[in-house]
Amino acid sequence: MRLFWEITKTSYQRYLSYRAATIAGLITNFFFGILRAAILIALYGTRKEVAGISLQGAITYAALTQSIIGYLSLFGWVDLMNTVYTGQIANDLLKPMSYFRFWLAQDLGRAGVNFVFRGMIVILGYSLIFDLVWPQSISQWIALTLALILSWLLSFSWRFITNLAAFWTPNAYGISRFFFIFSWFFSGFLMPLRYFPDWVVKLSYLTPFPHMLNTVVEIYLNLVQGPDLIMALLYQLIWIAVLITSGQLILRSGVRRLVILGG
Amino acid sequence: MVFALNIYRRLLGAQVRGQMQYRASFFFEFFGAILITLFEYASLALVFDRFGSLQGWSLGEVAFLYGLSEISFGVMNLLFGGFDPGTFGIEIRRGTFDQYLLRPINITLQVLSSRFVLRRIGKIGVGLGIFITALNMTSIHWNIAKIIYLPMVVLGITFFFGSLFMVGSTITFWTVESIEVINIFTYGGSFMISHPMHIYPNWLRRIFTYVIPAAFLNYYPALYFLDKPDPFNLPAAASFAAPLAGIIFIFISTAFWLFGIQHYQSTGT
Repeated sequence: MRLFWEITKTSYQRYLSYRAATIAGLITNFFFGILRAAILIALYGTRKEVAGISLQGAITYAALTQSIIGYLSLFGWVDLMNTVYTGQIANDLLKPMSYFRFWLAQDLGRAGVNFVFRGMIVILGYSLIFDLVWPQSISQWIALTLALILSWLLSFSWRFITNLAAFWTPNAYGISRFFFIFSWFFSGFLMPLRYFPDWVVKLSYLTPFPHMLNTVVEIYLNLVQGPDLIMALLYQLIWIAVLITSGQLILRSGVRRLVILGG
Repeated sequence: MVFALNIYRRLLGAQVRGQMQYRASFFFEFFGAILITLFEYASLALVFDRFGSLQGWSLGEVAFLYGLSEISFGVMNLLFGGFDPGTFGIEIRRGTFDQYLLRPINITLQVLSSRFVLRRIGKIGVGLGIFITALNMTSIHWNIAKIIYLPMVVLGITFFFGSLFMVGSTITFWTVESIEVINIFTYGGSFMISHPMHIYPNWLRRIFTYVIPAAFLNYYPALYFLDKPDPFNLPAAASFAAPLAGIIFIFISTAFWLFGIQHYQSTGT
């Protein structure tokens, strides 16, 4: 476990040093959040509440999604894939820890930097411009914290699988982007899932994506409570188990056919 | 000129063949480009019923903006792909830009033909589809002037964003690192003009009207095509500024680009 935290720490410091990228990400999040909030405000018009979400809640949704998108890295992540193509993976596979945990530790560092320096700054920044909704009770804060941790774990298990495509083809960037695009829509990043017609919501919940983002949104906005909340967290856990297991199976068959070119 | 066109055609042909080599990858990239545009639009279209209008604009009217913006940005991305600041910055950093300087062919032509990404045709196709649904949902009173003006609007938007790509790339001559903030104006600008400008906060709309003339590219022409009144009471000529804005921007950015080449210093890698 010490090795795990050491890798996380090194990775955290490495991502901390990418200042220009962090600032660029911040500005982009701010800008797109304002556009998305403006669209939602225009859609609401004089309505106070739509599909259980108040106008203030909708604006908070725009701020919240922009602030955790970097933390979850839902826009795409090809770090693992890159090491397959550079050959770095040969060293990584020899490390005295499981390949999944090695990357999990690194991603925790990346997520940490993004959570603190993008997530918190973005949402605090928005709270200066807009009147945002905040969680109301200790239990809601605890549920939110749990949901945030689980959604990172889930998003990582998913990203891990998409990157394994690099074991099979010499150019898997298109394939991974293709899969990421589904996550933007079905996770509720483009619009809160509640606004959509029933069939779209049902379709979304056949995939793991709503559990990566929409669950966090719904808990934050206090749209799920009591037994539903417990179920929401449970679903996150189930999907994590499913994706980690599939990831391990795919990795096992991938490593067997991996050819590392010297260079 | 004939020589230049011939070279352009050949370089493009080589790239198309190159991209078709990895069939599976091309397939995923092509359908990915289609899906992303489709999902973005669908996320608005599917919830529209619940809300009824976007501050006075119907779905068909918004789709008009959306379609035009997607088509034009797609065409721009296809033609000006070599000037994409993200990838151009990598060429500067790696020093591969130096290769262009050694060849006996116009540098701008080489950059223009250095990244012809075929998958973007998918995005243009979806844009056309959205535009056609917009025509079905609205009843535009077409006349000769409108028919002639429509392609000029597409040209204006294409040139405008192309010039932003050129400026973004030229800046990397000095910064070496690609400056990601330019994405706000390119990708952000295209997302912004896909929606009516009157929904944005005043300060933001003013910046994108008077500092960066994005409002004239799509919103004001759309007011003319859809026969809608201008809520900000600008002169009627505002609806016809799109091609002019595009041409002025492309002239300025070309001048800046040529100036940049003159002052280029290789990173030496």
